[in-house]
Amino acid sequence: MFRVGRSAAVAALAAAALALSACGGSSDDSNSGSGGGSAEGRTLTLWHYETGNSAMGTAWAQAIKDFEASHPGVKVKFEEKGFEQIQKTASMVLNSDEAPDIMEYNKGNATAGQLSKQGLLTDLSEEATKRGWDKLLSPSLQTTAKYDERGIMGSGKWFGVPNYGEYVMVYYNKDMFEKAGVKVPTSFDEFTAALDAFAKKGTTPIAMAGAEYPAQQLFYLLALNKANRAWIDSFELYKGKVDFHGPEFTYAAQTISDWVKKGYIGKDSAGMKAEDMGVAFIGGKYPIMVSGSWWFGRMQEEIKDFKWGSFLWPGQFAPGSSGNIWVVPEKSENKDLAYDFIDITMKKEIQNLLGNSGGVPVAADPTAITDAQNKELIENFNKLSTQDGLAFYPDWPAPGYYDVLVAGVQELINGSKKPEEVLDEIAQPYNDNLADIAE
Amino acid sequence: MTPDRTIRQPGRWAVLAALVVLAVVMLFPFVIVTLNAFKSPAEYSSGGPLSLPHGLYLDGIVAFWNRVDFGLKLWNSLLISGVVAVAAVVLSVLNAYALGIGKVRGRLWILVLFLVANTLPQEALVYPLYYLSKEVGLYDSKLAVILIFTVIQAAFGTYLLSSVLGQFPRGILEAAEIDGASRSRMLWRIVVPISRPTLSVLLIFFFIWTWNEFFLPMVFLIANDNQTVPVALGVLQGEKMMDATMSSASALLGIIPAVAFFLIFQRTLTRGVTVGAIK
Repeated sequence: MFRVGRSAAVAALAAAALALSACGGSSDDSNSGSGGGSAEGRTLTLWHYETGNSAMGTAWAQAIKDFEASHPGVKVKFEEKGFEQIQKTASMVLNSDEAPDIMEYNKGNATAGQLSKQGLLTDLSEEATKRGWDKLLSPSLQTTAKYDERGIMGSGKWFGVPNYGEYVMVYYNKDMFEKAGVKVPTSFDEFTAALDAFAKKGTTPIAMAGAEYPAQQLFYLLALNKANRAWIDSFELYKGKVDFHGPEFTYAAQTISDWVKKGYIGKDSAGMKAEDMGVAFIGGKYPIMVSGSWWFGRMQEEIKDFKWGSFLWPGQFAPGSSGNIWVVPEKSENKDLAYDFIDITMKKEIQNLLGNSGGVPVAADPTAITDAQNKELIENFNKLSTQDGLAFYPDWPAPGYYDVLVAGVQELINGSKKPEEVLDEIAQPYNDNLADIAE
Repeated sequence: MTPDRTIRQPGRWAVLAALVVLAVVMLFPFVIVTLNAFKSPAEYSSGGPLSLPHGLYLDGIVAFWNRVDFGLKLWNSLLISGVVAVAAVVLSVLNAYALGIGKVRGRLWILVLFLVANTLPQEALVYPLYYLSKEVGLYDSKLAVILIFTVIQAAFGTYLLSSVLGQFPRGILEAAEIDGASRSRMLWRIVVPISRPTLSVLLIFFFIWTWNEFFLPMVFLIANDNQTVPVALGVLQGEKMMDATMSSASALLGIIPAVAFFLIFQRTLTRGVTVGAIK
């Protein structure tokens, strides 16, 4: 018995030692493999976190093919990453030798702005003018590409290049509209009349999710109906003071509260997640869903039992902006190749492919979009963009503001707090953050 | 006897009922995951998460397997968890031998230190470990994760084993000493064989715990070729979108190895965390 025990222990130790040396070796191999920087046999390491069959995934896969075709001898090493991994580890990865040559990253002060402030991103200003990206992107799309020395978007140097846009719109169930005899509304009054018509018939018209982003985006949409561009610039880009008890937010808070009372929004939606909301709409349980263009591809794929469409929110503004951006890490060993790759993603062919796959391209040729639904989506975006209607997102101004807004709007839906109290609650973190920036 | 039994009988039924309810509650998530793993996305969206699948839809599982190169992830997880489990048990035994049987001076405080180290949240460890591993060139390597988890698991193992070995029957050790056994001989030929049930349980726990780790592997395994199963599952969670059916498929693939491992070794597990008495 003793002998068995001993030999097992020795074997285990030997196995451990073997395995340890084996994996030490393999990691060395991978290091020397990816580190190539010489002219021959170069490798462009590229990371993004869009699924392969999404509009961006499809377009970028084609861009990689085009890039390899136009750069003989260069291999693209693409790695699909998880969104969370990039969010949590980006600053660590970019500060090490394992940084990719080019990657997709979230736009915004707390993400790309933060990294640019830490000096981890390459300044793309020169390339942007040289290659004409600054002409292809409209000014409101450029907002998320530029960051100043405090890491605040809207001005300063170029640190990213967006390929696609996104915006919040109204999805509607055509069959339910027809059955209830409701027409597609063209003004806000018609919109509320439509909601009222459904509510009177005992149908809750709006699919909503209070536990996640949709509710705060509706709240923001309502505020935007009373706002102008100067107010948005104040709120999002700190260009002026925002009065949380001003007409904009007061109207929004009051309206949400009223809509719950009138039955336009379900009271139980306070605890719903975005996924629940989407599944409920796709399942034909609600006639209306107010949410972003990121749902579009899924709607096309999964709605089989009824006809659906989308229209712009009745008002000048809607939450929206550029999509995520390409950034080039400061530690990238192949910056020239990274610029070439970005340039390819901005070309008409790739942009058209993005549009035809259900995405919102930023520089496509509208006549090249074949599908009627896709065309509608892109035309609505272009309309919003030309009427200077992209109003960004309500959670952008301060770190952690997303959760503040979720809690606030939930209380409005629950009716557990009065609108004025909620406004005080969401004003506090915003003003604290302003004070932090001023320091 | 008879009145006693009539009182006990309903009590037993109540316990049984409670256990059944508990088992159903515990198994419910697994049932949901399994149901949705075999559904097509359109089916999921129209019928919701609770509906029964119409037929077997395997595309989700196959697509996920190919998308993340799941075979490689399995191997990575197996290698990391296996090496960590073995190394951490060896380290724990060596530590516990010194602390539990050797009666090192101040061992209580050493144990308290281990316990405190155990309660540290991993988030607090990330930055120091990140800088250390970058300094020694181990960032983005499996070896870094193996070393970190060997130490983390061994901290718990040392704490547990030390108290177990503290109760080790002195008689056996004294007999060995009289026979002239050296200290290392006593460890490998007496202490380790007798505590083998405890060590096996530790080994299994270390394996499963390491297998399920998400946060530190996510931070330290950057290249897709190095990643473990839980990190690979994270690929499916998008910024605003989640693919419920594919997530279920991946979750099913992710738990199968751990469940299989548990089933193979469950006999060892049920023997419990006690050292055999004098034989």
